[in-house]
Amino acid sequence: MRKVLYYLPLFAFLALALFLLSGLFSDPRERDSASLNKALPEFALADVMQPDKIWTPSELKGETYLLNVWGTWCPTCNAELGYLTELRQQGVKIVGLYYELPRDPAFDAPFNLAELQKDVQQKLQQQGDPYQFNMLDIDRSLSLDLGVSGAPETFIVDADGIIRAHHIGDINPLVWRSKLAPIYQEWRKP
Amino acid sequence: MSRLACLLILLFSVNALCQEVLSFDTDAQRQLYQDLTAELRCPQCQNQNIADSNAVVAVDMRQKTYQLIREGQDRQQVVDYMINRYGDFVHYLPPVNRYTLWLWLLPLLMLLALFATGVYRRSRQTSALETPEVNTSAVELDQLIARYRSKKP
Repeated sequence: MRKVLYYLPLFAFLALALFLLSGLFSDPRERDSASLNKALPEFALADVMQPDKIWTPSELKGETYLLNVWGTWCPTCNAELGYLTELRQQGVKIVGLYYELPRDPAFDAPFNLAELQKDVQQKLQQQGDPYQFNMLDIDRSLSLDLGVSGAPETFIVDADGIIRAHHIGDINPLVWRSKLAPIYQEWRKP
Repeated sequence: MSRLACLLILLFSVNALCQEVLSFDTDAQRQLYQDLTAELRCPQCQNQNIADSNAVVAVDMRQKTYQLIREGQDRQQVVDYMINRYGDFVHYLPPVNRYTLWLWLLPLLMLLALFATGVYRRSRQTSALETPEVNTSAVELDQLIARYRSKKP
């Protein structure tokens, strides 16, 4: 009994040190998503390039795809365009959700669709175009419903419109291979 | 000096003009808005509430909170709305479940353990006092001597 008590502080210290050590290698931004295994929320969003075209969740059913939240203003999103384009060439369907920034009425120019289209076109020409099409989330309402905290974020949505993965941050070969590809393969099967 | 004061006054008056002006139907709603933006957590800038943060998502969440309160929703409805989208992470008061129960139990258990150790040590101390140390060692010594003698031929 005495011996156990004698070593107790050492064990307590070791346990604390191990706990804190594991904290050094964990990602504080990683957390469970609330949107997993839920259906895509209701929306009706205009296409960025053809604003007359309105996309709804039912039109997106039928094939597993990646829903990629991005914006031309976001450097990380621009950096991942190249790799996403590679994925598209391998047959992955990728839909873009354009995350428009809020505008301050006192300092910013009002929203201009033509300018945005020019921006998007230019960026996709430079970096590669991974998208089947882009939906314009002008007031970020769908992003809020999806639990998006910023750009870039990517969802894997299956053929029935159920969200199967939610990734915060960029997609690079490592993330794709270790985290997203297995889920994508699993849900792509008919 | 007065020029500096003028400049400062100008600076701060501009700042005051730039504040968001939100109108509410009742003071209770205004209070609810202030409470909720203080206890909802920004998913982007961790460890800031949405009232403090100027991240895009915090601005949107403030806007949504305002809109929901104006629609007449109560505190729980607004909190549920946010938790449905951003998870328990988004509220600074986590729900009690089997993972978070330890947050409440552990301090209590530590207090109990401390108290138990105190009682245990005290009882040992008093029992040690009741039987004098000298006596026991004298008895032990006698036994040792007896054993030593008995081994000798």
